[in-house]
Amino acid sequence: MRRRDFLTAAAGGAGLLLTPGSALSALTRMPGVAPWLLVPMDEVQADHLKAYGVAFRALERSRKVEWLLNYRSGSFLLPGDADTVRDCALAGVNTEPADDGQVARIRAEIQQSNMDAVPLEKAPKVAVYAPPNAAPWDDAVTMALNYAGVKFDKVWDREVIEGGLKEYDWLHLHHEDFTGQYSKFVLNYAGSAWLTEMIERNRAMARSLGFPSVPAEKRAVARTIANFVEGGGFLFAMCTATETLDLALASEGVDIAAAFADDSPMDPDAASRMQWDHSLAFQGARLEQSPTMAVFSDIDGHQVNSPERRQPLGSFTLFNFSAKIDPVATMLVQNHRQVIPDFYGLTTSFSRRTLKAGVTVLADEPNAPWAKYIHGERGQGTWTFFGGHDPEDPQHQIGDAPTDLSLHPHSPGYRLILNNVLFPAAKKKELKT
Amino acid sequence: MAVLALMLTPAMLTAQQRPPVDPLARGLDLERRGAYAQAVEAYRAVLATRPGDPSALLGLERSLQPLNRTAEILPPARAALAVAPGSAVYGVLIRSFTALGSTDSARAAVERWAAAAPRDEAPYREWGIASLARRDRAGARAAFELGRSRLGRSDLLASEMAQILGAEANWEGAATEWVAAMKQLPGYWLTAVAALAPVPARNREAVMKVVARETSAQGRLLRASLTAHWGDAEDGARVLIQALPAERPAAVEALTQFADVVRAIPSTSATRARAMALEEIARRSTGLAASRARVEAARAYAGGGDREGARRMLGGVAEDTSAGVASASAAATLIGVLVDDGKVEEAERRLSASRKAMPTDEYQMLNRRIATGWIRAGDLGRAEQALRSDSTVEGIALAGRIAIYRGDLAGGVSRLRMAGPYAGTREEATERTALLALLQPIEADTLIELGAALLSLERRDSAAAAGALERLAGKLPAAKGGAELRLLAGRVHRGQRRTSDAERLLRAAATEEAPATAPAAELELARLMIALQRNTEAITLLEHLILTYPTSALVPQARRALDEARGAIPRT
Repeated sequence: MRRRDFLTAAAGGAGLLLTPGSALSALTRMPGVAPWLLVPMDEVQADHLKAYGVAFRALERSRKVEWLLNYRSGSFLLPGDADTVRDCALAGVNTEPADDGQVARIRAEIQQSNMDAVPLEKAPKVAVYAPPNAAPWDDAVTMALNYAGVKFDKVWDREVIEGGLKEYDWLHLHHEDFTGQYSKFVLNYAGSAWLTEMIERNRAMARSLGFPSVPAEKRAVARTIANFVEGGGFLFAMCTATETLDLALASEGVDIAAAFADDSPMDPDAASRMQWDHSLAFQGARLEQSPTMAVFSDIDGHQVNSPERRQPLGSFTLFNFSAKIDPVATMLVQNHRQVIPDFYGLTTSFSRRTLKAGVTVLADEPNAPWAKYIHGERGQGTWTFFGGHDPEDPQHQIGDAPTDLSLHPHSPGYRLILNNVLFPAAKKKELKT
Repeated sequence: MAVLALMLTPAMLTAQQRPPVDPLARGLDLERRGAYAQAVEAYRAVLATRPGDPSALLGLERSLQPLNRTAEILPPARAALAVAPGSAVYGVLIRSFTALGSTDSARAAVERWAAAAPRDEAPYREWGIASLARRDRAGARAAFELGRSRLGRSDLLASEMAQILGAEANWEGAATEWVAAMKQLPGYWLTAVAALAPVPARNREAVMKVVARETSAQGRLLRASLTAHWGDAEDGARVLIQALPAERPAAVEALTQFADVVRAIPSTSATRARAMALEEIARRSTGLAASRARVEAARAYAGGGDREGARRMLGGVAEDTSAGVASASAAATLIGVLVDDGKVEEAERRLSASRKAMPTDEYQMLNRRIATGWIRAGDLGRAEQALRSDSTVEGIALAGRIAIYRGDLAGGVSRLRMAGPYAGTREEATERTALLALLQPIEADTLIELGAALLSLERRDSAAAAGALERLAGKLPAAKGGAELRLLAGRVHRGQRRTSDAERLLRAAATEEAPATAPAAELELARLMIALQRNTEAITLLEHLILTYPTSALVPQARRALDEARGAIPRT
C-alpha cells in the first residue's frame, strides 16, 4: 500500500469504527462497563508513555483502536472490554468511560476541527537494531518500549544481512555508527574496556559475514536497511544512526573511514565523490577529516564533540499539520507540549542546508539553522529521524546512569518516539511487496 | 570672572568626585556578570592602549570562549607577542590554536616559547592540557612526551601523564606516574588517592606493587589510603601505623590526613580505621588535644561497632574534670556505649555523676537512652523509674511504648497520640506511626501476650517475637488484628532471612477479609518474590493488589514494583 492508499484507508476506517452498534461495538461491550474508553492524552493523563503500551496491547489482542489526532493532544479511543480496563488500571493510565452518544459527540467535534480519527488495526512487529550485549538502558527507544510494555526483538548485523528484516514492520536504529568507525571514539577512548570489546565484536562479525572490514560490512547493513524501507518498512532512527546511515549509503565505493577502521586512510576527495542519490535524508554534506574528532560531517548542527563548533542546547518546536490532509505527519507530532527542551546526542540535529528536497520537517528550533525531527518516504516505506540521544538526559555522557522512565511518565520527547511505534499500526494492509 | 568661576565650580567638582573607570576593572566586572560580549569590548579597549597587558588578553580569551568566538583572540595575541612576549601570551596562543584545530600553529608557538625558556616544562604542559580540553588524548600525550624528551627527564609532567594513563585504563602506568609526581610535589598523594581509588579489582594488585616500592611518607600514605578504599580500611591503618615517621609532627600529620581520607569511606571498617588513626594521634598528643582525640576516637570506635575500643579510649577522660568540654563529651559517649553494651546500671551511675556538668537537653536525652536500655534489658520498672521526671514529648512517647509492652494497649496508644507525630527522630516517629497502625484494628484494651511479643522484638529476640505474634494472630479475627500481626511476623522473618516462614505469614496476611492490611501484605510479599527472583509470582501479586485495592495508598509503590518485576525500569 502506498501512502495515498493509506490515507484513503484511514479516512474510511474511522467511520467504520465509530458507527454505533457496529459488530465490534457489540463484541466488546461488557455488562456494567462503558462500551468505550477514552484515553485522554492532554495534561490530565497520569502516564502518557504507558498509554501507548495500552493501545499497543489492545491491538495485539486484535481490538481495534482509534487514534484521535489533535483531539485532547492525541487521545486514544479503546473498546471498553474487561481486558483493556484491566490493562489501564495496572498501567496507571487514566481513562474516561464513554457511551455511544459521547463518542458520537467526539466524532462531531473532530469533523469540525483540524482533527481526525485514525483507526489502528494491527500491532506492528518491532525490531531494534542493537548488538547482542548492548546495555539495555543505553537506548532511548529500548527504554521507552520496555517502559510502555511494547514487545520487540533485537536484531543485529547477521539478522539484517541474512534477510531477517522481512519479519518486521518497524525497525529502530540508535547510536550505531554505520560508517564502521566505532563512533570515532577509537583514539580518545583507547584502552577502555567497552571500546575494546566493541571493536572486537564488530571485527568478528564482519569476518564471519565475509567482509574485508567493518566499514564494508556496515555499509552492506545500511544498504539492506534502505532496501527494507524501499520495500515498505518503517524506519525510525535516532542519534548518530541517522547521520551515519546516510553517510554509509552515499559512500558506495568511497573510503570515508579512518585508517584505524579499515587500515587505509580516508579518501581526501571523499566529499566530492559521495553519491547522495543513495541516501535517505541528506545531501551535500562536508565530511569531517580528523580521525580524532568524534564528528562525522556537518549534517549535525550542534557538533557536540567539536569544542570550537559546539552549539548550545535550546528548545525545539513541533509543527502543526492538517490532520485530515496529512495524517502521517500529524500522528508523528501528537503531544501535550509544543515546545520541548533539546538534548544532545552524537548527532543532535540536522542542518537545513543538508536536507534533501521533499524531506518533511516535523520539529525545529526557531531561527536556528537546523531541524530536530524529520520524516520522508523511500519507495513504499517511510523513515523518521530524531536527533539526540535521550530526551530526559540532555547532556548524556558515556557511563551515565540509566534514565528511569517511571520518573518521567509525561516526557514529551519520549512521546515522539512512541508516536513512531504506533504509526505503522495505522495501516490497513501489509505494506511490503 | 567671578561669575564664570561660580558657574564652573560645580561641574568641576562633579568631575573630580567621579573616579575614572578602569576599562580592565570594567571588563572583569562584566565578565563576572556573564556579559561576555560587553566584556570583550572592555578588554579590547585596554589592549588598544596596552597591547601587551596579560590580564586584558587573558580576560579577552575567557570572554570569547563562551561566545564561540575563540578565533578572534589571535590578532590581539599576536600583537601582544610582538610587544611583550611571555608565558601568558604563549599560553593564549597555544590554547587558541589547539582549540581551533591549528596543530601546526600551536606547535610553532610551543617551539617559540620553549626557545625562550629552554628549561621550562610549561610550554609542553600548556599544549597537552589544551589538547585534552578538546578530548585529543593522543595529542596531549605527544605534547608531554615531547617535553620529556626535550628536557631529558622522564619524570617531568608526571601528574598530567598519570591522568591520561588513568583515562586509558592503564592503571599500572598511571600509578608509576603518580609516584613520580609525588616525588616532585609530595602534596600530590591526595590527588593520587582520588585518581587511583576507582581502579578495578583485577588491576589493584599490580597497582599496589608499584605503590609499595615507594617508601617515602607519602608513598605509605598512598598505600594505606588505597588499601582503605579497596575494602580493608583497618589493614590500611595498620600499614600506616607500622611505618609512621619517628618525628611527632610528621606522624600526626600523616595520621590526620589518613583519618580524613577514611572519613569519606562509608563502611564500618573505615570508621574503625579512622578510630585507630585518632587513637595514635591521641597517643602522640598531650593535654586537652589528647583528650579530644581520645573522645573522637571513642566515638569512631563506637560508630564502627567496637565498644571495647570505645571504652578503652574513654577510660579516664570522662572523670577528668580538667578536660572540660572533652570530659563532658566523653561522659555522654561513654554512657551511650555502656547502654549499648547492656551495662545500664553503670551508665545510670555515670549519668547521675555527670548531671551537673551537662545541659538539661543532653541529660534528658541520655536519660531516655538509659530507659531504653532498661527496656531492652527487660526491666520495665526501672525504665519507668528513669522516666519519672521526664515530661518531654519524647519521654511521653517512650512511656507509651512501655505501657504497650506491659499489655496496656489503651494507655499506650493514648500516650503515643499525646506525643504527636513529630517527637524524636524521624525514625522514631515512623516507628511510632507503624505501632499505632498495628494496634488500630485490635479491639482489646489490654493484651498482655501482644505486649510481651513486642517487648521481645524490642529486645532483638526476633524468633521469640515472631512466634508469639503468630500464635496471638491465630486467636484474633483477620480484620481485628490477626492479619496485621501476621504481616508484622512475616516482616520479622523476612528481616532474619527466614524466607519460607515470611512467605507463609505474608500470604496469610494478604487476605481479602482484612482489606486494610492486605495491600501492605501483598506488596511485602511481592518484594520478597522479586528478591527471590520469582518475578512471575511477584507480577501476579502486584496485579492483584492494584486491581483489587485501587484506592490503596500503596498502589503507586505497587506499580513501581510491577515495572521493576517486569524489567520495564532499571533496578534500584
